[in-house]
Amino acid sequence: MDNREVLICSGTGCLSSGAEEIEEAFQQELVDRDLLEDIEVKKVVKKTGCVGPCSLGPIAIVKPEKTFYGKLEVQDVEKIVTEHLEQGNIVTDLLVEEDGHKVEEYTELNFIKGQKQIALKNIGEIDPASVEDYLKQEGYQAVEKALLDSTPEEVIKEIKDSGLRGRGGAGFPTGLKWEFTAQAESEQKYIVCNADEGDPGAFMDRSIIEGDPHKVIEAMTIAGYAIGADKGYVYVRAEYPLAIETLASALDIARDRGYLGENILESDFSFDIEIRVGAGAFVCGEETALLKSIEGKRGMPNPKPPYPAQKGLWGEPTVINNVETLACVPEIINQGSSWFNGIGTESSSGSKVFAVAGDVIGTGLIEVPMGITIKEVVFDVAGGIPDNKELKAVQIGGPSGGTIPSQYMDLEIDYESLNEAGAIMGSGGLVVMDEDTCMVDVARFFLDFTQEESCGKCPPCRIGTKRMLEILERITSGAGEEGDIDKLQELGERIIETSLCGLGQTAPNPVLSTIRFFRDEYEAHIYDETCPAGVCQELAPPYVIEDETCIGCTNCVDECPVEAISGEAGEVHEIDEDECIACGACAEVCPVDAIYQRSQGKGDA
Amino acid sequence: MVAITINGTEHQVEEGQSLLSAAEDLGYDIPTLCHFDVVSDAGACRMCLIEDQDSGQLLPSCTTEVSEGMDIVTNNERIYQARKTVLDLLLSEHCGDCEAPCTVACPAHANVEEYVRAGREGDFKKALAIIKERIPLPMSIGRVCPRFCEEDCRRNLMEDEEPVAINDFKRKAADLHYEEYTEPRRELTGEKVAIIGGGPAGLGTAYFLRKWGIAADIYEKREKAGGMLRYGIPEYRLPKDILDKELKHFHEMDGLTINCNQELGTDIEIAELKEDYDAVVIALGCWQSSSMRTEGEELALGGIDFLEQLAKQNFEMEDPGETIVVGGGNTAMDCVRSTLRLTDSDVHCYYRRTEKQMPAEQIEIDEAREEGCNFEFLSQPVSLRKEDGKLVLECIKMELGEPDESGRRRPIPIEGSEFEVTADTVIAAIGQNTIAPDSIPTNDWGDVAVKEDSYQVEDNVFAAGDCVTGPATVVEAVAAARKAALNVECFLQGEEYSEEKQTNVNQGHWESLSMEDLDFLEEPTPQERVELPTEKAEKRVTNFCEVTETISAEGMEKEGERCFECSCTSKTDCELRDLATRFEIEEPFYGGFRSSSGAELEADNPFLVHDDDKCILCGRCVRVDHEVQCSDAIDFANRGFDSRIAAALKEDLGSEDSSCVFCGQCVEACPTGALEYKPFITERLELDVESTETTCGYCGVGCKLDFKTADNKVVKVGSVYREGIPNPDGEACVKGRFGYEFIDHPDRLTKPLIKDKESGEFQEASWEEALDYVADNFQRIKDESGAEAFGSLCSARCSNEENYLIQKLMRAAIGTHTIDHCARL
Repeated sequence: MDNREVLICSGTGCLSSGAEEIEEAFQQELVDRDLLEDIEVKKVVKKTGCVGPCSLGPIAIVKPEKTFYGKLEVQDVEKIVTEHLEQGNIVTDLLVEEDGHKVEEYTELNFIKGQKQIALKNIGEIDPASVEDYLKQEGYQAVEKALLDSTPEEVIKEIKDSGLRGRGGAGFPTGLKWEFTAQAESEQKYIVCNADEGDPGAFMDRSIIEGDPHKVIEAMTIAGYAIGADKGYVYVRAEYPLAIETLASALDIARDRGYLGENILESDFSFDIEIRVGAGAFVCGEETALLKSIEGKRGMPNPKPPYPAQKGLWGEPTVINNVETLACVPEIINQGSSWFNGIGTESSSGSKVFAVAGDVIGTGLIEVPMGITIKEVVFDVAGGIPDNKELKAVQIGGPSGGTIPSQYMDLEIDYESLNEAGAIMGSGGLVVMDEDTCMVDVARFFLDFTQEESCGKCPPCRIGTKRMLEILERITSGAGEEGDIDKLQELGERIIETSLCGLGQTAPNPVLSTIRFFRDEYEAHIYDETCPAGVCQELAPPYVIEDETCIGCTNCVDECPVEAISGEAGEVHEIDEDECIACGACAEVCPVDAIYQRSQGKGDA
Repeated sequence: MVAITINGTEHQVEEGQSLLSAAEDLGYDIPTLCHFDVVSDAGACRMCLIEDQDSGQLLPSCTTEVSEGMDIVTNNERIYQARKTVLDLLLSEHCGDCEAPCTVACPAHANVEEYVRAGREGDFKKALAIIKERIPLPMSIGRVCPRFCEEDCRRNLMEDEEPVAINDFKRKAADLHYEEYTEPRRELTGEKVAIIGGGPAGLGTAYFLRKWGIAADIYEKREKAGGMLRYGIPEYRLPKDILDKELKHFHEMDGLTINCNQELGTDIEIAELKEDYDAVVIALGCWQSSSMRTEGEELALGGIDFLEQLAKQNFEMEDPGETIVVGGGNTAMDCVRSTLRLTDSDVHCYYRRTEKQMPAEQIEIDEAREEGCNFEFLSQPVSLRKEDGKLVLECIKMELGEPDESGRRRPIPIEGSEFEVTADTVIAAIGQNTIAPDSIPTNDWGDVAVKEDSYQVEDNVFAAGDCVTGPATVVEAVAAARKAALNVECFLQGEEYSEEKQTNVNQGHWESLSMEDLDFLEEPTPQERVELPTEKAEKRVTNFCEVTETISAEGMEKEGERCFECSCTSKTDCELRDLATRFEIEEPFYGGFRSSSGAELEADNPFLVHDDDKCILCGRCVRVDHEVQCSDAIDFANRGFDSRIAAALKEDLGSEDSSCVFCGQCVEACPTGALEYKPFITERLELDVESTETTCGYCGVGCKLDFKTADNKVVKVGSVYREGIPNPDGEACVKGRFGYEFIDHPDRLTKPLIKDKESGEFQEASWEEALDYVADNFQRIKDESGAEAFGSLCSARCSNEENYLIQKLMRAAIGTHTIDHCARL
């Protein structure tokens, strides 16, 4: 076996595509063939956190060659065990093919090659349940360096010099935040890790906790030391049971090993961490609402100032950092601030994790250096758009973010450039949209989410987003009115200006940015009563049957949900265009492709 | 102290306080809806946003602490628009009725709900006082008003029900008390106004001016005042002795004169009046009959001319013979019904549209028909000629086409459908025009032209009534009179006139609602409308006697029970309404779905009513509950747009699970009508309440309470907020807050009583007698059995001083130490 290890990606994506069966198959094969010698099977076949390329799952990586096997099926396992684990030959048939050649090594995958992994570095490499694995990757060296060799001021300076900025939303400089809290006068201070990841589709925080929990613990301890806090909270949503379990057991191990608790590493510094489980309200990702929730109150935000650095948890100075931000901290302490600062752009150093989704070949988590262009992310790292479709836009920053059209694809991603383009970094949601996307519908989708998640405390967000949603629903259903676009813009800007917290202050962004770049689509919905992308069903043109091609099979007649199709067997059928709801069910069942949507011509339907 | 700059001025302010309190102390005006003095601030309502000059951001002033060097602006266009948008959004989901729809529908905005309530309670004098606030001619209007209010009455929503007989309250109240009632009038200022025209508009203007201390001289060209009331509306609808009674009050008012037989151009000139008076008001009315625009129209009598002549002849006129009246308005009906009373011949009414489009009141049409009028619809006169001593009217048949600008379907002649009818008399009652004085500017319709949004013609000349609007109703004339008077008053004081406007949230016309949309404490029961006693048609046509009688007081009191009392209990003290009015919001610009119209009122307890539809989620009640009372009985429930204030487990506050102690502090904190005292809603709703600070008598703590009284009766108990009192944050217990009914209870002892030993009955006694009686008996017992026969138990409801006095009495006067106090038990 030659110290071989098989790493099975156990992120949620791979689990749902069958990673558990693959893992069991490997274990079974190894046990059946008696290849384990005296080693425990779990030390050879290991579960890891999310490797990233979800579209290639289930995934197995065989070490030490780091051979990447993707899209595995259970019957493939036998072959890998026989040829690779027993005989030492890579199974070429099962390798992933890219750009016309087979990729052997995991790091040679386009998806991985283009990345610069800092926060995600260990994920996919180590078993999250094993502190030894973590220690092998310089684990807990940073806390040792900080606690034993540095003063709190030196730690803060290192973080400040690194240029690290908050990865959860607004991008506030982390070192500065620590400094303010350190300077605040109080006996009691707190460090809170925000793991209330709420953006739809974003899962980097969960991946980090599930894949590398000790890193978060180490980072929080360093932060606690830097600001003078002896207590930390991790606020994580109840929808992340695996993350909670992984973190809880990691906390136990850390306490056992003396990385947490009284007198850590005999440095006189004491620190401990408690997990607080949130009920899953999006607004609780907002720091003041999060603090309220930890205090056991209704999760409603408070105006800032006062900032948590002055008056936070139970009125005490508190640092709140996002998981991804914290995951950079041990790396900065270990490698030095200038190393981190050397990556990325002048204003935004380091790298950023994005959750890539939508109309793109390589969906999943990627960590790329700041300053990379959108085009590089979409085409070089994520493999481009499937089915030869055109890229239309990307939505960055989740429901609080904005839509950036294809003509801006050379935009270098950093905090400032995204803001200028009407988007935000946010937590790093990146949805790729192809030519078939209706931008009004996209705006409606995101606003529907934020409107639903408004806490209800301030009128602009509570009522204003509802009013905007009503207008968008009216537009997408074909009842848009003259003046609606102006109303959306005016109200949107007012909501941004007057809302109490970040939720309301960013909720109109998707609407405003789509109006900014795709105003013509809004106008088409309102004035021409058409949806150019053919998405908005109530505006979609009806389907028609081509007389010459129809064979009178009656399939479509039976399929039509609104009984809009008439015709006897063997005769040419006809669709009543006034009745047709443009669902397309008829076209799907037509055996001779005789049915097409009116405005699009045959072949497109 | 820290230095801050507000609107460019530097101030030294106390450290640690909020910007809002600092700015308020300095006299800056910052609106807020969620700030409440005795609880913490939430920054929720966003009304108190100010602009921070350093960051350029809008910050809530209530949660932002003052700090050295802070530079803020409390109001500019950006802040104004931000606040206005917030208010607009709040109003867009605020569901209820500020004013009752009847009050809104009344052109004069008389407080309908209030005078109906007074009538229901049998207090018609009070009803009249409320009516005369807005309606100076209640006897006449009580008889001739077309009842705009009743058209909008929500009672219409109930199946098979008619509206409340609102106008009859006016008539009853005036018939009972008009002569004895004197409206409050301010002292005369010495200013004087000339009014040309003694009709409803002229009389009304003079009335309101006089009320506000400005003398008025009315110049009337006819023999008597009253205008259309006297010379237009026939006797059978408004008897002239009633009108004389009504006008007698005007004749008797000091500072108001009515000068008859004074015709403009002959006896008086506007130019002279302008010189002699501080202001002149033109209220000439509409007295010129409109032309039929047909050949031979001079052979027809003008409708208003006919009516005027009839009135001048005291409703005695020679038989007009067979008569045709052309027209479909109230004047036409007056002509029809008058001629029916003058002749036994046939009377016809020709109208070019159908009955449905007739502008006349339905009751007038129905009664005209009962009295024998033959209606011919869709017939338009083409020409009129005289043949063999008879009038021949040629007409053409019409059909209805597309709706015109008035919304009514336009009649179109049917070619070749001409026909001829004959009659002895033809009366053209198709409309009236203003005859404006030569020197006065007119508008496109020939009416007196006034400046936009005002009643000013030019210089110190004003105008009101039909001569400005064209022919309208009496109630519209007195409504215009009030506004014109206000305009004159502003002019005399050198102020700019703007119409009194108040934001009015309205659930919508009853036709757009269902019964489920309305909130009731108790479901209304069906009840038939009181009927106005009306003379039979066959008797009516024989004379000009009034056709209806005033309804009995008992009948009206019963009718009052049919009123739903739609208006909001907080309409006079609603912070949301006040702010919306200030920001001039009439209808929310960003209108949309209202969260819960039709949500049932929560009131399964005897004390509090929660109307969720009116809640703006400011959270004041929740904070008072949590921070002052510490009950935790209410909190926010649900999220986002569906957020609401709810009791624990969403049960009623009266449920077993609730920790509510009914202290009422949430009601005190509520800026709108979302929370209200139940007894206040069910028993009475007063527009004018007096505040009296008093000490609660229930226990020795000595809480200060604010007794709100109306007509010397307690209607609710409010809070007093002041440092240094036992309950500085407005605290109260359920007894202090709600236990006030005993004050007016008939069983309450207010005089000493001594039991008559023989009869066993209590007899009223004077205080001296009662005290002597007690003292004599104390003395007797002490003499007979010694001091130890006495014992005293004091009450915690007594003050310390009172407890001290009782022990002093026992120890010093009686000589016993057997004294105890219930607090020790």
